Amino acid sequence: MRGIGAQEAKGFWADAWDRVRRRPGAMLGMAWIAVMGFFAVFAPLMANAHPIRLERLGPDGQVLSVEWPLFAYLSPTDWLLMIATAFGVPWVFLGSGRLGRAGRIGVLVGLSMQAGATIVLAALLVWAAEGAGIESLERLTRLDAGPWPLVLASAVLVAVLAMAVPIAAPLVRRIGPILGAAALGFALSWLAGGQSLVNHEQVILDEAAGKVRATWTLIPWSSQYTRSDMVGIPPGTRVADWEKTASFKGTPFGERRVLLGTDAIGGDVLGQMLWACRLSISIGLVSTGISVVLGVTIGALMGFFGGWVDLLLYRVVEIFMSVPTLFVLIVAAGVLPRNTYVMMAIIGFFSWTGAARFTRAEFLKLRKMDFVQAAQAAGLPVRAVLFRHMLPNGITPVLVDASFAIAAAITIEATLSFLGLGPDGQASWGKLLSSATAATGTFVWWLAVFPGLAIFLSVLSYNMLGEAMRDAIDPKLRKAAH
Amino acid sequence: MATYLLRRLLLMIPTVLGITLMVFLLVALAPGGIGAGLAVQGGQMSDTSKVAQMQAYLEDRYGLNDNVLVQYARWLGRVSPLKFGTTPLVAPTGDLVREPRDLPEPVMMWAFPAPAAFLVQYTPPSGEALVEDFKRLQRDAEGTRRTYVGSVRGMKDALADHVRALGAPWISRLEPKGGADPERFRDLPLEGDAPTLIKLRAAAATMHVAWSDAEAARQRATIAFLARPYPAAGFEIVPNAFSLGAPDFGVAFSRNRPVWDLIATALPVTILINFIAFPIIYLVAVPTGVLASVRRGGAFDVISGLMFLLLYSVPVVLTGVFAIGFLANNQYLGWFPVSGLHDSAAATMTFMPYTDVAGTWHRGWLLDMVWHLALPVLCLVYAGFAVLSKQTRAAMLENFSSDYVRTARAKGVPSRDVIISHVLRNSLLPLITMFVGIFPAMLGGSVVVERIFTIPGMGSLVIEAINLRDRELILANTFMISSVSLLALLLADILYALCDPRVAYD
Amino acid sequence: MAAHDTIVTTASKPIEPLMSVEDLAVSFDNGSGPRIQAVAGVSMSVYPRQTLAVVGESGCGKSVTAMSSMQLIPRPPGRFDAGRIMFECRNLLELPEREMLKVRGGKIAMIFQEPMTSLNPVYTIGDQIMEAVLLHQAVSPDEAARIAIKAMADVGIRDPESRMRAYPHQFSGGMRQRVMIAMALACRPDLLLADEPTTALDVTIQKQILELLRGLQHSTGMGMMLITHNLGVVAENADVVCCMYAGRVVEYAPVTELFDRPLHPYTRGLFRCIPGLSELRNRLVTVEEVVADPREYQGLRSEAGPVVPWWPFMDQSQRPALDDPSKPYALVEVSPNRWVGCWRTPEVARNPSRPPRIAPA
Repeated sequence: MRGIGAQEAKGFWADAWDRVRRRPGAMLGMAWIAVMGFFAVFAPLMANAHPIRLERLGPDGQVLSVEWPLFAYLSPTDWLLMIATAFGVPWVFLGSGRLGRAGRIGVLVGLSMQAGATIVLAALLVWAAEGAGIESLERLTRLDAGPWPLVLASAVLVAVLAMAVPIAAPLVRRIGPILGAAALGFALSWLAGGQSLVNHEQVILDEAAGKVRATWTLIPWSSQYTRSDMVGIPPGTRVADWEKTASFKGTPFGERRVLLGTDAIGGDVLGQMLWACRLSISIGLVSTGISVVLGVTIGALMGFFGGWVDLLLYRVVEIFMSVPTLFVLIVAAGVLPRNTYVMMAIIGFFSWTGAARFTRAEFLKLRKMDFVQAAQAAGLPVRAVLFRHMLPNGITPVLVDASFAIAAAITIEATLSFLGLGPDGQASWGKLLSSATAATGTFVWWLAVFPGLAIFLSVLSYNMLGEAMRDAIDPKLRKAAH
Repeated sequence: MATYLLRRLLLMIPTVLGITLMVFLLVALAPGGIGAGLAVQGGQMSDTSKVAQMQAYLEDRYGLNDNVLVQYARWLGRVSPLKFGTTPLVAPTGDLVREPRDLPEPVMMWAFPAPAAFLVQYTPPSGEALVEDFKRLQRDAEGTRRTYVGSVRGMKDALADHVRALGAPWISRLEPKGGADPERFRDLPLEGDAPTLIKLRAAAATMHVAWSDAEAARQRATIAFLARPYPAAGFEIVPNAFSLGAPDFGVAFSRNRPVWDLIATALPVTILINFIAFPIIYLVAVPTGVLASVRRGGAFDVISGLMFLLLYSVPVVLTGVFAIGFLANNQYLGWFPVSGLHDSAAATMTFMPYTDVAGTWHRGWLLDMVWHLALPVLCLVYAGFAVLSKQTRAAMLENFSSDYVRTARAKGVPSRDVIISHVLRNSLLPLITMFVGIFPAMLGGSVVVERIFTIPGMGSLVIEAINLRDRELILANTFMISSVSLLALLLADILYALCDPRVAYD
Repeated sequence: MAAHDTIVTTASKPIEPLMSVEDLAVSFDNGSGPRIQAVAGVSMSVYPRQTLAVVGESGCGKSVTAMSSMQLIPRPPGRFDAGRIMFECRNLLELPEREMLKVRGGKIAMIFQEPMTSLNPVYTIGDQIMEAVLLHQAVSPDEAARIAIKAMADVGIRDPESRMRAYPHQFSGGMRQRVMIAMALACRPDLLLADEPTTALDVTIQKQILELLRGLQHSTGMGMMLITHNLGVVAENADVVCCMYAGRVVEYAPVTELFDRPLHPYTRGLFRCIPGLSELRNRLVTVEEVVADPREYQGLRSEAGPVVPWWPFMDQSQRPALDDPSKPYALVEVSPNRWVGCWRTPEVARNPSRPPRIAPA
């Protein structure tokens, strides 16, 4: 018999997404995350001390030669990020076809990850071949092109692995894109330089002397370029108006403005802030990815098998829970090498317990449910029961929680960088913030306000999004709302 | 209940062991290893061979040459209240004195056989003379040991020089850094009269003399030690085999002070800050959560929820910097002190505020501390508001729709009483559990807050320890922080048991 | 024992119902969608010493009706759209909260379906019974404890003095339901609303609890509204049956007559799908089959003429012409003391029936 007032049913995720979309806070948060992502991808093109085009001029002003220092400087990962964003994002939003939008996102992420893995593997091989220590791991993103056989080998290896990924689509349909991604990864790894060929100081002096003509990026400062004569310039100042650099008056360099001021070692704040989006976003995503994969796996094992597996692993979870995570992170970040990958790994490794507990609780519940018992009774292998029947049902709370985990990871990165335990040689909001209260006792407001605002907005965005998703998905809250 | 408590206390042991082992491995696996902090100190000397010998001495002194797990086990043995082996003694200064350690073996014994073992004849005097004798012998043993360890290092350097002089193929066996490992050169021919070889023989002779001196001094010191110049530490159950004693956290390399002294001044500060912060969090968050749940969907609910979410999204470091910059710095408001726990004149203050005869008001010791702690505590509390009030609200809402609340209302209980004695009373239980989640996070947060406001608590101590790679200090800090955290969680469990009749701990 | 006295002194006059629900309509806000009409014009009445059984499937509005009479419906999202519930000459729906507090637990008591969760886990049994006593009777705590012990003894809890100090989790489901009953009856209410009091219990305990309720009703003279979907319980315990569907009363009759000759197709369907021991059937008849059969709706007459039983899913073509499309339903007295929910045709509208009242003999 039909019920009175029955409504047309909507898919679970579509329904949840509709609820999220109705929250202005969540939408604003997503907009800010998108802006931050844009900066993270295009920071090298927006803020760079390498000129885009450099014309060397003869004594009479004739052009002797033309160089493109910025393009020589961009690393394979820079290129990959920009290409994937510039072509992939419009395709995801505007494309049509059999794949839905979610499908297109999946394809984009998958192919980008394949090309990225090719680049990282190639760099790793070169790094291992050089026998360099863990200290130089940071160079993985800024590596010179390796010998082509090594790069080709890694491209082939990753492509084969990509073909072996167990997803529903038939291999015939996947093979073209996979080969394309492999070619892209190979080409970028082999061709892109990641080299710094120009001396900034010299370019600036030559430019002042009329020996070169340079075309600069939108913000002509990089995150790494510092000048000892430009320490602590307030926001909006023209370089020539600053007492110590007044000698540049009348030159292109003197006409530049430091929009958000400079820091305690004479680096541009805006340039650093744009580059720092990279660090924040990547640490947030990767460390959360690590913690989710780790947590879901361990939680699923505990929930599915129970018994002594559960007992043993849950002790480990309890150990992690009862210990001040931030404290251990500080110790770990303090003694281990200061680099991005290590930081991602330790944040991920010390924050998986939440995901594990959620998954365990869900799996313990699901294990007793009829459809799981039916699947088992039907003789499905454990793998199928776990991944096809239980995981999609049990993973919801973890996914909702991931948004909060990203916010937490961003906070932790800022905190560790603030304490001077962040990655070396990388622009970071937390590092800028820490230079606001310098040892001299003076307080430099623009070093506190701008990076502080960036951290706050990013953390708030992810929290807002998480809050909206939790409200949209949590059935208990939904029931209470009626 | 007693059984439960005992079981919980016993379960804490593996937890603390697990976490300290993890930290120990982290420190050990870090580039530069455990001795990284010491290397910095040695670097101040100009003569490179002196530096190497100093390094060798320090490595020997702190046992840094051993396997990581051996080092950890040794640390554990000292920290454990159950002590096996020779009972340490307590010197009048309060320092623990241990039995002199065995000497490391001389190196290259296949080429330069070790001098014959010997036993010294020494009858310790008794009474006051024994103490004097022991002090002298102890110094003696220390000094000769240092010379010996240095001579071993000298021997390795001489070997390295010789290998370098020989060139290929031997030179490829040298490690990139440091002296030669003699074990790698067992088959090195040692005949001939190359200058480097002569130096190597001389180094071996020096080493053998140093070994004899050191061994003799060690044996005498051991005999004097076993004669018990000082009283034994702790409570001996089987003399020189098994005793109970207080944990010994060792001496901090970086400050050359017992770790326990440093912790004893730092830990109370951290605990104080946290124990001020907790009531504030609960007093603000619980009533807010209750009010929000009673007027669910109303203005108060929405505004308090949004405000707490905003606050929750502000990292502690940001608040700290803003508080210092705008509230404490004299460039702006300058209302609060920038750093520390007390004014420099705090020692001369009276405890309570008073007004002297001249009519000047003195704030006194207590108010001075409150004034100094205001900003740090502010930084510590606000993030907890959101977490706790959200939990309170959720727990209240869940209980509002529960069957027993319906029963109470059907009985004719007025709604205010329903809220307070039925809904809130039941919602308190998850709030106690929340403590488990908040407290470790708060302890971690206070590390950062202390660092920002230069408060001499555990946070400042641990960051100093990390920067100097002070193994003893890092481990002891980790140990204490985890123990405090675990004890607090145990307290929460006991509270829970007292509040919930359904929980029976048997 | 006010109700009891009334009965004795007014035995000769036609007695008034203890509580009468008149055309009650309650709806709930559904957030995004249209309001949900949980109860749409329900009438019923309970007399002292009488047991009115309200039957119907889940969601038909039986509990909402009972909860409305205690004003226990959360408002919002709930809302009383129309009708009234008269109790002691007062409309319970309009009673201010302060007055309502005296009625709840004092004059009208309620017991619920889930004995496992209906007691507060953090208070002792004694505390919870005494709370009700202290609220409604001007007695000292000692006196209240004595009353509570007596109430527990009355419901058959052994050793009540020591059980007073026990917590709910130390009791079994049946015992907890006894505690709930003791709590409800400790203040000697005139009316007991029993909302599926035995659904969550096993069959032997069910029988004990119902016998207990019947015995207590006998000794105190209170009226009882027994909400259930178990027809067996109805047959054994009820005096009058009110059968509901989709927020409306479909049939209202004395229990024996209803069981002998159900008049509404839905009621017939309910009875027909009970398997009997004496008959052999290949398969059970479902309620759907009965209500979907157009023949089931024919041949019913009232004093005003032929009437057609109301059914929300009846084919548009078979429905009679209505007097007012916005009021499709009316409860019609088709024969003395027999009411059936019918389509409100012009004839029905012209000759409205009296509200359903079946006084005890």
